[in-house]
Amino acid sequence: MTQSIQFTVNGDLVQVDVQPHWTLLRVLRDVLELNGVKQGCGEGECGACTVLVNGAPINSCIYPILEAEGKEILTIEGLLGKDNSLHPLQQAFLKKAGVQCGFCTPGMIMSAKALLDANPNPSEDEIRHAIAGNMCRCTGYVQIVESIQHAAELKSKQSE
Amino acid sequence: MSELFVGKSIPRVDLEKVTGRAQFMNDIKLPRMLYGKILYSKRPHALIKSIDTSQAEKLRGVRAVLTGFNTPDVRVGFIGDQTPLKKDKVRQFRDEVAAVAAIDEETAEEALELIKVEYEDLPAIYDPFEAMKEDAPLIHEVDPRGKPRRNNILPLPWKLEAGDIEKGRAESAFVVKDTFHTTWVHQTCMGTSGCICEFDLNDNLIFRSVTNVPFGGKDRMDMFLRNIGIKGSTRVLTPYVGGSFGSKLDTDIYEFICALLAWETKCPVKILFSREEEFLASPPRQPTVSTVEQGCDKNGKLTFRKVDMILDNGAYTSWGATTPSVMMVTISSLYNVPNLSYQATCVYTNNIYAQAMRGYGNPQATWVIENSIDQLAEEAGIDPLEFRKINANKPFTETPMRLKITTCPMTECLDEVKTKLDWENKHGKQDGRGVGVAAFVHVGGGARVYRSDAQGIIMKVDDDGKLTIITGGTDQGQGSETIIRQMAAEATGLRPEDVSIFLGDTEVCPWDVGTHASRHAFITGHAILLAAKDVKRKILTLAARWMGTVIGKEIKRRARRNPDYVAPEIDFDVLADPDMLDLQEGEIFVKSDPENKDLRVPLPLILRPHTWWEPVRGKWSWPRLFTILPMKCSTGKGRGTCPAATPSEPMASRWKWTRRPAM
Amino acid sequence: MRTFEYLKPTSVKEALELLDQYGEKAKLIAGGTDVMVQWKKRILSPDYLISLRNVPELHVIDYDADLKIGAGTTHRALELSPIIQEHFPVILDAVSNLGSVQVRCSATMGGNICNAAPSADTAPPLLVLDTEVHAVSSKGERSIPISEFFGGPSRTVLEHGEIVTHFQIPRPSPNTGMAYWKLTRRAAMDLPILGVAVLLSFQEPDAVTCNKARIGLGVAAPTPMRAKKAEAFLEGKVIDEKVLAEAGAMAVEEASPRTSIRGSKWYRESLIPVLVRRTGLRCQQRVKGAAA
Repeated sequence: MTQSIQFTVNGDLVQVDVQPHWTLLRVLRDVLELNGVKQGCGEGECGACTVLVNGAPINSCIYPILEAEGKEILTIEGLLGKDNSLHPLQQAFLKKAGVQCGFCTPGMIMSAKALLDANPNPSEDEIRHAIAGNMCRCTGYVQIVESIQHAAELKSKQSE
Repeated sequence: MSELFVGKSIPRVDLEKVTGRAQFMNDIKLPRMLYGKILYSKRPHALIKSIDTSQAEKLRGVRAVLTGFNTPDVRVGFIGDQTPLKKDKVRQFRDEVAAVAAIDEETAEEALELIKVEYEDLPAIYDPFEAMKEDAPLIHEVDPRGKPRRNNILPLPWKLEAGDIEKGRAESAFVVKDTFHTTWVHQTCMGTSGCICEFDLNDNLIFRSVTNVPFGGKDRMDMFLRNIGIKGSTRVLTPYVGGSFGSKLDTDIYEFICALLAWETKCPVKILFSREEEFLASPPRQPTVSTVEQGCDKNGKLTFRKVDMILDNGAYTSWGATTPSVMMVTISSLYNVPNLSYQATCVYTNNIYAQAMRGYGNPQATWVIENSIDQLAEEAGIDPLEFRKINANKPFTETPMRLKITTCPMTECLDEVKTKLDWENKHGKQDGRGVGVAAFVHVGGGARVYRSDAQGIIMKVDDDGKLTIITGGTDQGQGSETIIRQMAAEATGLRPEDVSIFLGDTEVCPWDVGTHASRHAFITGHAILLAAKDVKRKILTLAARWMGTVIGKEIKRRARRNPDYVAPEIDFDVLADPDMLDLQEGEIFVKSDPENKDLRVPLPLILRPHTWWEPVRGKWSWPRLFTILPMKCSTGKGRGTCPAATPSEPMASRWKWTRRPAM
Repeated sequence: MRTFEYLKPTSVKEALELLDQYGEKAKLIAGGTDVMVQWKKRILSPDYLISLRNVPELHVIDYDADLKIGAGTTHRALELSPIIQEHFPVILDAVSNLGSVQVRCSATMGGNICNAAPSADTAPPLLVLDTEVHAVSSKGERSIPISEFFGGPSRTVLEHGEIVTHFQIPRPSPNTGMAYWKLTRRAAMDLPILGVAVLLSFQEPDAVTCNKARIGLGVAAPTPMRAKKAEAFLEGKVIDEKVLAEAGAMAVEEASPRTSIRGSKWYRESLIPVLVRRTGLRCQQRVKGAAA
């Protein structure tokens, strides 16, 4: 029952052979070897597998791969510039220590990316609302919220 | 002297984590690698009548099916009270009954479904008090040595007695007594447990592990190999770890099973827990039932305290059973109490067994003591914050555990809390919400839990002036790589960006007791101080030999280029004296004249002369300074190993740097 | 190998044909946040999954005489919809705190209702809004009042071969306040211990005398339910804390909560009057706020 589908990942058009029951996460990790996308729970609870599909954050662990056909997927790997320059969120997570063990970080950053794309200057409440689906066991979220606030500042400076 | 880097906020060095490049156990794939899965008992207490694996063995893609019947009967665990795969009976819901290695996870899961196990259920005990009754069924019929057991109580009594309880009771104006329960709490690391085991052609085990005690893990695995008759030894490699919170202290049963599967198949085998399996089959915090009785005189001064604690050990024993060693500190030493009795009993039940989880028993103990203190304060009619101040420890006292307290601003701390909480106006004066106070003490920085609390550090400076630190520690997210870099830069006189770290390989890294017990930054820091002192001395000695030459050449070069150049007067004797020189931020300078630009030389110019003047004959790596650090902390000797020369890699121009072994 | 065939119709008509063709072997999937998890846990093992994601006619939010919400509308789309934000705060209360942003970007209103969990967050709001559920099959179309839609835990009155197309919600009368209160252990990513929706319409913008009341309860019975006696009690009354608490006490009589991992029966029973009172007061405040 192998099917061949096409979609865009981090700007590159890819064609992959998949089984219908596979999830987007499985294809990203096992076929495309984008290991930055993490599996934490496998049932849409922890957010470690968050990627953007056409700009919207989703849990790739429960996203049927055949729905990805023709879509634009963005993963943490796609945030790095062609010259290896860091995205403001990546810079901010290092600067403000929003990363500890790092397992939740890629998903967390992708949720934050979706937030900042829609709302460049979010309040603390809006940030907490946006990352509610990304569990972190290390930080207690305080430094993560600060990191996202700092990224918003960096982004606004960049665009000036 | 003010610090340049320590105490300052520098960016975390976790570039790989924010870009998705960090390789966790989940991400590692090896050639020929198989996937292991474990069949759990899913019943609390039962005899195994038979296990039929024939169907599973026939499934295409299955490479090994193991049970207690086709593996060596070797005991593992903290006191050796279990075998990796259970043969005669199962004692908890998560008991490992069979294991499969297959070409992919789906096949391995399918194979598990084909294994037929016949059980005969036994009465199960879930309550430690039931388990202590005389007629209670035995969880373990024999002890690890094969001697018959008479009850379910662990031969691991914890006891601390000081002063005279009866005397204290007689002196008391107020006494309270109550019983407190705490339950299981799971670490719930974001990265689930997992490992990869692989044997090389000399029967050495390459054990990719999420442990934060690499050398302890090596030790336990080595013993296991010996016991099952394998002559090789273990090399532990640690990748990035998705959190620990205590769960990665002990070597877990699945890890021994993985080694058995790897030995059987002669292929690398990976076992990675699903989230459900993580909750089902990894040991959480130890539940406790504590009865506390304590009293105070009419002024609120504590007179005595008696704590009897029962720990639900679960079916087997891991580090959870040793948490009373830390609870003892809270119970004896958080407040000044002269007459003390603490007794903890660990009891086998058919519940899940437990190990370390954040605070190592301290949250349980603090919850109990602080509740009881509130009760006693209320009984005595004293404000609970004042009550704590009355009993707060003071500097230069010795606690019943004979811990010597040298500094202790507990009273000042409570005063500060009182002010910031607006205690007078808020405590007990609001309806439905309010403020409360509790205090807390914790062991840390080398708790002398082990015979040695040592940490090895190897420092290696290459001719490019960069420093590589090779450490036996691990990082599970606490940020030790960042702070090591700060401390090392400070102590050697280099810049943080000149420091790279290599960790996670017991073959290369020096011995370390483990990254736990709130010790790592403190102990590593001291090792760094000692190593850096040595390294710096060697660098300055070399500098004294070459400074004059380097500076002299520079002056000649300038004069050649610019006819109007006036050469400065240089005191070459000063330059030749290592005691007169210093190194900071990667530059050597004269201590007495630090601002003089003519006398500042970047470190590589000192380290490189040999590559200019002598024909290069396979000596590219010189000068390379090694210091092996016998680190000590109160117990005296530490250990080191011979450093292995690793090829130096070009440094990238920005924050990067921790190198783990290629997985 | 355990797998399924994944079908992607682009119209309701096509989806119905597939449903008829494959019969009981087929199962509908919308956002997949429930279905995919149930498949992984082996609760469901259909041979065919018919996806409704690519059926544009199911993705509508239309506010004219009535409010029409397509069954395939995601909770995120509702959360961001100015219509919902302005006119239907009770839906906004529910969808803005259902799962996570990630879940809401996939999960749909139709999926949440058809999954028929007693804890479905959007059920109490739809109950108090007198929603009609529109379903279609190859045999024709029908509309079902939402209060009659749930047949038991995880069960609806839908027959195989039927697809819910949209929810029709009558325009609320003036001076109506509506709110949903979800009590959870965690602030986010949790199912309700109890969910209470209240709708109160008042005679005047002063929000004093109530002329229409609706109370919807989640996790208070095997299905989401209305507390009709309590509603009748409130109608015609001057609304204050005491009256609302009385109505809440009546609602307890109508409910039949059970003990589950999230909360015990007695706790839920004691919560109902508290949350009915709080939610009712919030409705009243919303009317007053709109008037002011």
